[in-house]
Order: sequence, then C-alpha cells, then structure tokens
Amino acid sequence: MTKPKVAFFDFACCEGCQLQVANLGEALLDILEVIDVVEFREVMSEKWPQSFDIAIIEGSITTSHAVERIKEIRARSKVLIAYGSCATIGGVNGMKNNYELKDIREYVYKDKAEFFDTIPTRAVHQVVNVDYSVNGCPIYPPEFIRILKAALAGLPYHVPDNSVCVECKLNENICLFERGISCAGPITRSGCNSWCVNNGNICYGCRGMVSNPNENGFKAVLEKYDITVDMIMNKMNMYNKCREIK
Amino acid sequence: MQNAILRKSHLNDFISKLAVIEKVMAPVAKGPNHYAFEEVKSAKEISLQYIPTILPPKKYFMPQHETLLEYDTREGQKMHAVAEVEKMVLFGVHTCDLAGIQCLNIVFSDRPKDLNYLIHKNKIAIIGFECNNYCDEHASCALMGNHIPKGGYDMFFTDLGDYFFIHVNTQLGEELLDKTGVYEEAKIEHMNALEDLRAKKKEIFKNEVDVDKNMIPEYFKKGFDSAVWDDLGERCISCGNCTNVCPTCYCFDVYDDPDLGAKTGKRIRVWDSCQNEPFARVAGGESFRSQRKDRKRHRFNRKFRYPVERYGKFFCTGCGRCTRVCMAKINLKDTIKSLAKEYK
Repeated sequence: MTKPKVAFFDFACCEGCQLQVANLGEALLDILEVIDVVEFREVMSEKWPQSFDIAIIEGSITTSHAVERIKEIRARSKVLIAYGSCATIGGVNGMKNNYELKDIREYVYKDKAEFFDTIPTRAVHQVVNVDYSVNGCPIYPPEFIRILKAALAGLPYHVPDNSVCVECKLNENICLFERGISCAGPITRSGCNSWCVNNGNICYGCRGMVSNPNENGFKAVLEKYDITVDMIMNKMNMYNKCREIK
Repeated sequence: MQNAILRKSHLNDFISKLAVIEKVMAPVAKGPNHYAFEEVKSAKEISLQYIPTILPPKKYFMPQHETLLEYDTREGQKMHAVAEVEKMVLFGVHTCDLAGIQCLNIVFSDRPKDLNYLIHKNKIAIIGFECNNYCDEHASCALMGNHIPKGGYDMFFTDLGDYFFIHVNTQLGEELLDKTGVYEEAKIEHMNALEDLRAKKKEIFKNEVDVDKNMIPEYFKKGFDSAVWDDLGERCISCGNCTNVCPTCYCFDVYDDPDLGAKTGKRIRVWDSCQNEPFARVAGGESFRSQRKDRKRHRFNRKFRYPVERYGKFFCTGCGRCTRVCMAKINLKDTIKSLAKEYK
C-alpha cells in the first residue's frame, strides 16, 4: 500500500509551527513510517506539483495572491489541515485589521507601498474549506499528532470548546487570577493541556475564544480582580482580531 | 489494637518508614494558601495545617486521564482491559475528603460496577487527619456533618498537642502502623483528651447556613425555576473549576486514541464537567442544558437533591472548594440560603 502523500505549505506566519513539526523528535520517525512527505519548504528542497492526500497549511491569508494560492492548494488536496494560530484563527497577523489598510501599508513599505498588495487578514477557513484545525501558537505537538492520526484514519476531530481552565485545573495549577495576574484562559479554547500555565506563563488566548463566552460574566470577574476590560481585550486582540470577520 | 498514639517527634520516622515500604501521598504547599496531594518522602515536605487541596484525593481513585483498554484490529477485533494502578498510602486526608471518597465508592460500586475505580480503591490505604478548627470561611462541613470522622479510613490521626491520637480502623491500618513501629499504646488520659477536643469542636463547628439540612432537597425541588438560577447563570463563565475540584463529581468523557496507522490504539477516559458547553450536546446539535443557569442548577441538584433521592446521601461534603475556586464568586452557602429564604 502506498503511503498517503502529505505536503506542508506556509502563508503569512513565522514558520514556527513547521519548526515544531521538524522538532517532534522520535515521534517524527514514527510519523514518517506512515506518511510520504512530498513538499515541506522548511526541511526539504523538493516540490510536488501534483495532487496529494493531505495539505497542512501554516499562516494566514493576507494578500490576493495568497487567496489564489490557497485555492489552488485546496483544489489539489483531498484533506486540508490548518495548523497554528495564523492559519486557524488569523493569529497575530490579525492585528493588521485594527488599522486602515492604506495606513498600515505605508507604515511598513514607505514609498514602495504601491508595489505591495494587501487585504484584511483572514484565517484559512475564512477563504477555503478546512477539514481539521490544529489551534495554538505554536501548535501543541501532542495535539498535532492526535489530529494527524485522526486525518489519516478519516475520523473527526473537534477542537475542544471548553475553556483552558478545565485542563489547567486538571493539572492542578494555582489559578493565575489568585496570584493577581490576568490570564486569557477562562475564555480561550482548551486542547493545549494548559501548556503555558504549566510552565509558569499566562494564557495569551492563542487558540481562539470559546464559541459562546459569557462576556458580561467575564467582565464582572475582571472587575472583581481589578483588571480592566481594555487590558484583557488588548491581550485577546493579539491573536483574536480575525474573529470579527464573518 | 484500636487506638494508639504517635509522639510528634516521631512523625518524621513514621512517614520516612512508611515511604520506604509504600508510595506516600500527602498535602504539600504549592504556593500561598494552595496545597496539593503529592508524593512525599519525609514529614518535612508535608503541610499538615492545610486548607483543602486544589484537587481532592479523587485524582488517585479516578485519575484525570486514564487508559481503560487497548485495542488491536490487525487480526479481528481484539481488546483487553487495562488497569494502571499502583499501591499507595494517602496521608492527612481531612474528614470532608473522606466523605467524598465514600460518596464515590457508592457511585462506582453501583451497577454497572466501575472496575477501574474499584481496583484503584483496593490499592489505596487512607490515613485521615482531623480538623480541630475551620480551615476558612468557605467550609460548610458542619452543615453536612463532615467535621467529625465517620469512617472511610484505615487509620485516623488527631492532633492533641505534642502527640497524635490514632484510631486504627482496619487490619491494613494495623499492619501499616506495626511496620513503622514508632507508636505507643493509647492510655485513658489520651482517650479523655480526644473526648475533650470533640466537645470543644461542638462549640466551634456550627451549621453554617442556619438551614435544616433535611429540608434542602425539598427547597431544591421547589426552587427548580427559581430566579436564583438566573442570577448564577448570568455570572457563571463555564470554566468548570467547581466540578473539577469537587470531591464527589465523577463525570468523564471517553475517547479512542489510535496509534499511527490506526490499527491499534487505546481507549482513554478523561474528567468531564456538566459546566462545559458541549457536555450535554447530543447528535444533531441539540443540548439538554444549553443555558448556563441550567448547568449551574444541575450541578447543585447533583449535590443536594438527586443523590439524596437515589442513594439517600448528600453529595456535598462541605469542603468549600467550589466556592473557593469560583472566579465569578458563586457561593455555595449563599445559594442554599437564598433558596431556603424563598421556599421556607
């Protein structure tokens, strides 16, 4: 039996999620036993102009050229996985959507701005159909492997719609709010095993908001802990600005 | 032997000797006012003056993530049950948490029996530890009658000044105590000191909500559509903290984790929570408890009404964890008081 052909592509991103994959260590050897990587710019020079079984996409869509390219990739792949915050929720690139496109273009490209086309940042699923999402900045390796296995087996994977607090509590961390530190965990989707909090950091909301956050309730919570809504919204906007695009 | 005493100067010997023969789990400080049961090798690591740990000892009876079976479909459908257990001694379990374990014992012994839980239970020795005072203002152990020991342990320690009074409740407890060999015989003066403490505790621990416990299920029944739930629903942010830290919440989800190649794999259970948005969602997208107020009401009813109807037992232990951990400051005692006020 031939192994499924898998190709990795990147759009507007830091390529950190590709590094996470390249860094999987021994697990990567097991993965390479069952898939045939035909294109992966970060780790190999070969290109694959034909169709493939699974396309794994990093990065968000920020130019009209990228729109054409992602559509072309989608047309060539049976299954498409978006991975990383940029691809799944727009990620930090979404901060661009805070500004007028003209202003941001001139700020970055100065007098050459006219040569650089730009459009509002969009997550991959806001442009083409996405079969699986691996949220997170960067991706949480165990979840990536779990979703890859689901894709290979043709099984569904649902990004958990619970707050990060659920996993954080299972890991018996002290709540950061109790330590007087703000954290986006209560309104952010879990699935990362509260990776950041386990390692002494806060949650930055990189996995996107839960589908139905209790915004008023959360505002009241923030008030009780003396945290301003502006401050937490700034934090959430770092990753979640694309949420407003319907 | 039913009773013994252990000089406090010998506590370290007791724990160190125990830790040589068994894995010993005890409350340790994790940060300001936060504690967790963790493995210890000596008494110095233990915080005996602790408020209820972040997670109750249920994590040893039904681990957060637990493999239930392994399957292999390469030649037919083969599977075998898995029980990942290790022997351990839990030291320093408060009476509220002993009550919690007793509740879980009832649920998991009910048919169909949960063998994984029961196998864990058989491997765990429990050494209880009495609270001479309230841990903090969130506890309602006197309301639930769990401020004094009611069994569910192999040994039970009470701090009586420069020694611990030990009630030996099972043969396993006796064997463990014998192996450490650092106890003394309990004399009549020690028994009297214990009785004095219990008398003193009657003055300290009083029903915290001024509501007749036996009437609470009735209040919950009458208050099914009470505005109390609307208020909680508006405040709750569905973080699931309250159920995860509850010593009697036992709901779980089960999923298959295939190996690469998808022919073999594991079936895993993980703690779930009725407070989570997708918990009561079924095929077709319908949810039986789509509103936060429905979910909050459900949680309270699962403590104060449904288990009383089914098992004749309250499933709140009064440990106060849910109140302590709630970011929206939803308070268990206040909720009971509000309902009682409406329907008295």
